[in-house]
Amino acid sequence: MTAHSDETKQLRPGLWETVNERYPGSMITKDDFVPLAPLRKPLSESRLTFVSSAGVQPKGTMPFDVGHPVGDYSFRRVPSTSNPSDLEIHQIKYPTHGAVNDLNVIFPIERWQELAAEGVIGGLTPNFFSFIGYNMDSERLERTLAEDIAEGSGAKFQLHTRYRKAAMHFSQYMAANFNL
Amino acid sequence: MSLQYLKEAVAVGDTEKLIRYVRLHLGDGNEAAGRKEIDKAWVEALKLLLDVPETDREFILKTLAERDAATLAHLFFHLHFYLVQRSGEWIHDGTL
Repeated sequence: MTAHSDETKQLRPGLWETVNERYPGSMITKDDFVPLAPLRKPLSESRLTFVSSAGVQPKGTMPFDVGHPVGDYSFRRVPSTSNPSDLEIHQIKYPTHGAVNDLNVIFPIERWQELAAEGVIGGLTPNFFSFIGYNMDSERLERTLAEDIAEGSGAKFQLHTRYRKAAMHFSQYMAANFNL
Repeated sequence: MSLQYLKEAVAVGDTEKLIRYVRLHLGDGNEAAGRKEIDKAWVEALKLLLDVPETDREFILKTLAERDAATLAHLFFHLHFYLVQRSGEWIHDGTL
């Protein structure tokens, strides 16, 4: 937490109101605060996992369903040892040209690998987690996708309900900014 | 638009809200673009059939008879994106 962080606000102030004004009936209505979880040990002793709504997935896995009108609530495990050439993007709601040229701009897997190899971070979880941000049903998103990712990332992570809420809010943020 | 918002529109028969949502979805948040996208898909489908090519009608009838309505509705959305992609005029930022 930085000295100027404000626990009474999250993300960009006024974001929800802006979205609701532009899209009447928008799902962006929750304003409960989700505090950041402080590290409990040094970064160099911590394993890092990465959760992304960028639609990155291993080649050969079922493409994310970008055409479904209500969204896709599945996720893919992305081995943290993957090369960018092992991965592809199925996502039509943000410009993917840059990411196709260098996946790290949206899914910085090589940077994480480098930081782990240098000992800056203690290591990586065996898998990272990826989904698409186009999800209209926020309750289902929280009930299934966020919980599944929390469980899939390991028991330790599973204990932190905060992360599930954070994942949901993150997805809503992405939906508000890129998908509606 | 929330799912609840759309379900309420269904309950009261407010098709304007529903079609607006579809247009926003297909037009990446731009209703006018979405309207054009719908037209584009239909134009592409029509163009493909003008010369009356052989088609697998048996497959079509079998699919319609044997698959549930939700799967067919889902297929309808896939066909939309298939046809607009085939048209060569792709407005979306990413890829299928």
